[in-house]
Amino acid sequence: MLSLKNISKYYKAGNLKTSILNNINLDVDAGEFVSIMGPSGSGKSTLLNIIGMLDEPTDGYHYFLNQPIHQLKEKQRQALYKENIGFVFQAYHLIDELTVYENIETPLLYHNIKSDERKALVADMLDRFQIVGKKDLFPSQLSGGQQQLVGIARALIVSPKLLLADEPTGNLNSKQGDEIMELFKKLNKEEGMTIIQVTHSEKNAEYGSRIINLLDGTVESSKNV
Amino acid sequence: MLKNYIKIAWRNIVNKKLYSAINIIGLTVGLAVGLLILLWVQDETSYDKFNTKVDRIYKVNASIGTGASKQVWGGTPAPVAFHAAKEVPGVEAAVRVVGDMDYSKFRYKDKLLRRTATMKFVDDAFFTVFDYKLLKGDPKKPFPTDQSIILSVTEAKKYFGDTDPMGKVLRGDDKDPYTVSGVMADMPANSSIQADYLFSINVRKKQYNGKGMWKAMDEDWGDYWADTYLLLKANASPIAIADKLTRIHMSLQKGIKPTDGVFQLQPLADIHLYNPDLTSAGAEIVKIFSIVALLILLIACINYVNLSTARSVLRSKEVSVRKIIGAERKHLFFQFVFETALCFLIALVLAFGIIYAIMPLYNHIANKEMHFDLFSTSVWKVIGITTIITLAASSIYPAILLSSFKPIDALRSRASGVGSGNFRKVLVVCQFAFSIGLIIGTLVINRQLHYIQTTQVGYDRDHVFTVNLYNNMYPHQDAVKAELLRHREITGVAVGDNIVNGDSSTGDTDWDGKPATASMVIHPFSIDQDFIKVFKVKLIAGSNFTGEKSDTSHYILNETAIKEAGIKNPIGKRFKLWQRNGIIIGVVKDFHFASLKQVIEPAIFSYAEKSGQLFVKTTGKNAAAAINLVKQYHVQYNHGDPPFEYNFLDDDFNNLYKTEQSTSMLFSIFAGIAIFISCLGLFGLATYTAQVKVKEIGIRKVLGASVLNITTMLSKDFLLLIVISLLIASPIAWYAMDKWLESYVYRISVNWITIALAGVGAILIALITISFQSIKAALANPVKSLRSE
Ligand SMILES: Nc1ncnc2c1ncn2[C@@H]1O[C@H](COP(=O)(O)OP(=O)(O)OP(=O)(O)O)[C@@H](O)[C@H]1O
Ligand SMILES: [Mg+2]
Repeated sequence: MLSLKNISKYYKAGNLKTSILNNINLDVDAGEFVSIMGPSGSGKSTLLNIIGMLDEPTDGYHYFLNQPIHQLKEKQRQALYKENIGFVFQAYHLIDELTVYENIETPLLYHNIKSDERKALVADMLDRFQIVGKKDLFPSQLSGGQQQLVGIARALIVSPKLLLADEPTGNLNSKQGDEIMELFKKLNKEEGMTIIQVTHSEKNAEYGSRIINLLDGTVESSKNV
Repeated sequence: MLKNYIKIAWRNIVNKKLYSAINIIGLTVGLAVGLLILLWVQDETSYDKFNTKVDRIYKVNASIGTGASKQVWGGTPAPVAFHAAKEVPGVEAAVRVVGDMDYSKFRYKDKLLRRTATMKFVDDAFFTVFDYKLLKGDPKKPFPTDQSIILSVTEAKKYFGDTDPMGKVLRGDDKDPYTVSGVMADMPANSSIQADYLFSINVRKKQYNGKGMWKAMDEDWGDYWADTYLLLKANASPIAIADKLTRIHMSLQKGIKPTDGVFQLQPLADIHLYNPDLTSAGAEIVKIFSIVALLILLIACINYVNLSTARSVLRSKEVSVRKIIGAERKHLFFQFVFETALCFLIALVLAFGIIYAIMPLYNHIANKEMHFDLFSTSVWKVIGITTIITLAASSIYPAILLSSFKPIDALRSRASGVGSGNFRKVLVVCQFAFSIGLIIGTLVINRQLHYIQTTQVGYDRDHVFTVNLYNNMYPHQDAVKAELLRHREITGVAVGDNIVNGDSSTGDTDWDGKPATASMVIHPFSIDQDFIKVFKVKLIAGSNFTGEKSDTSHYILNETAIKEAGIKNPIGKRFKLWQRNGIIIGVVKDFHFASLKQVIEPAIFSYAEKSGQLFVKTTGKNAAAAINLVKQYHVQYNHGDPPFEYNFLDDDFNNLYKTEQSTSMLFSIFAGIAIFISCLGLFGLATYTAQVKVKEIGIRKVLGASVLNITTMLSKDFLLLIVISLLIASPIAWYAMDKWLESYVYRISVNWITIALAGVGAILIALITISFQSIKAALANPVKSLRSE
């Protein structure tokens, strides 16, 4: 599904060139659940953003669903992204001005889904995550775990092929974290959703089918669980 | 989707109450004022354009004299139209519009009404050349006989109520009978020709009995009393036609100087805004006000742009998230456009409310009868253009800005400010430069006006009022004068022409030693022997009239007349005014008998034993008593018909500057509004800055900074911007106001004090605006602000 070849990323600050990612090679097949680990500053988020097309590598080849992303125009990339990738963040990043219902519904608006269909899809999602009772609340009225559930629901509503999560449990207590991880595992197992997550916790990483360790911008180790 | 955009936009407006209020108030005031000004501009530029043939209608003006004494008159001799229609090829029709010979009342049966509206004598082509609507009657032959009269609907109603006026007879001044041959719609307010009673020009024609100097109206080349309008053929050249008319004039009036009576054609569409000599008669103010309207709208737009881009920093997270969950540029763009549009809609509705509410006051100040008709196309033209421009300027930039940044950067809050703060600074500088410019303009206009009104004009008009003697008191004026003077409330009495506004003039002058090519246009005043004394006009040579018979051949001239005529030792020299030869017995010091916009021109006093106008000088304390005394004589002689009326010369004098006064009043209001909207924006920005820097302020306070330190830190940048605006605005405003002042012959000069005053004023106002927020931020408890992060 996804293939990175010799991906590098540099930042230039004055004369100083800092290398963030160095010759990364990574292949992820459909249906995998990959956990990326590594010390702070090792480039995990940067890698995830590149995979998610929110950031561009300085060098290298990037294929997604057999398309050469590094050759695509901004518009084509945007379309590919929009159809296939969902993002979940550590800080949830819900829209404060919108209710739970509206937060989940918004991606559908951008996908030009009809009103009736939208209603059905959102109702489904609320049901599945058991947050029907919260649908008219605003994010500030929810607990962290609940907010992250909404964040995940929002990412999943357009049924992406690939779910990217940057420390999805980072702001949660361990019980809330476990619930999210169970959810991911279920998604992966039952629906065959491809998931790549960044995490600091060994325990959470173990939920995945493969753990990749990043160190100073290079893949230090990769092992199947 | 649409519903969603509107919902989000509405929620954003409601959630951010302060910002929304600032935005909406700014837009509302800007729109209301901008629309009001543009309505005025539209009204001013719409004059006479209701005529479908406006492009082909010209007015004939006459240029008299050359060089400094050259004048261009709006009237022409009557034969111009006669010959134009008869023998000038490019002319399709000619119409004369003439006033004078006024009836003061009309009678229909037992209804005797005083005439309060204008009457005109016109040629038959009047209704075919112009688009004035004849509701009843034949536009091709409006006056079946010379004793026909056409009335406006309003006037007809007064005499005939709801009955059909056609064929009924009105008696002018209770004697001359006129049969109603037509009823016309009231002339539009934006018509430069105004009349409610129309008569055939033949009525005037009959007054030439073949005995006077001019044998017939169409041969009278000496009196420039007819407003002459020509309808040209489609491709006729106005210049060629004017030349042809001048040639006809030169060949038919014997002994005329080739520079006296040169005709020029002025397009009908221009005559409201330009004088016959093509100087501005309002065109300048229209231009200035259009610019002011534009500036005010711009200032309001800038507010919106500034606040929304500033706030975009606070909203960058929302925008990024939307992008990440699939929003394309167009989605975000429309979201912001909708938000602006909603703000705008609210502002527009409020602006309409304001416009409706203050329309009467505005009409009063602007001296107009404009209507704000929500359903008129012209109103919507103004609104449409304004709205589109404002909407474009105030939504597209923030929309592009907000939808263009890279989402991941904003989420990591590495992008500390979206859109450069510099752009905002430039806009604030623009805004304040406009405002300061308007303040300087206001100060200069007011100072000039004050200067004009307090300048010594060379005569004393204090506590002098004037009344019309009318037919019955006229013969007894000597007795009345003598009796009035017996009262101690009255310190002087004179009869003559009004000294405040000497607007009649003649080129019919001659004197000993006059060069063959010379001509002098002079303003004649006919006065009695007391006039010069009462008005304290200074006699610098010779003597005043004495009131004896010989005075009828005596003249007193002003210095300018003597200088221009080039008469050495003028006393005792021959001077001829019109057909009357006489000698110069005195010279008076120059005095202003016109607006200070005009340079003093030659003037001449001739003696008249009797005049229609009585001038009474009193004192401030005794004014009421003096008026009462005069009123008693009026009642005694005129039996209260017409009702007693008086007016003080001070009012006449102020009337000379009516346009200036309303301009200055409006300008002050506009400048005030401009600075108000600018400050509103500044207030918003200061609020935003305090909000963004709340953490920094907290840390500084913990480190020991005082309230003053922090207020200074927050205000410094803004003040710098205001100072820069001042530096930019003052030279431009200085230059512009210098140009404006050039239209006054007697004027103040722009000086540093004015600029400094405007600058200090703007800085003070801005400082108060900013410090409100700065001090609040500085006083806030640092622990709170730090914890909340
Ligand atoms: N725009 C940028 N400019 C300069 N340096 C950057 C930029 N973005 C990231 N970096 C640097 O790249 C490095 C990797 O950052 P990244 O966010 O990918 O780390 P991470 O592994 O996700 O760390 P953490 O576990 O703390 O989230 C860091 O040292 C960071 O300072
Ligand atoms: Mg990270």
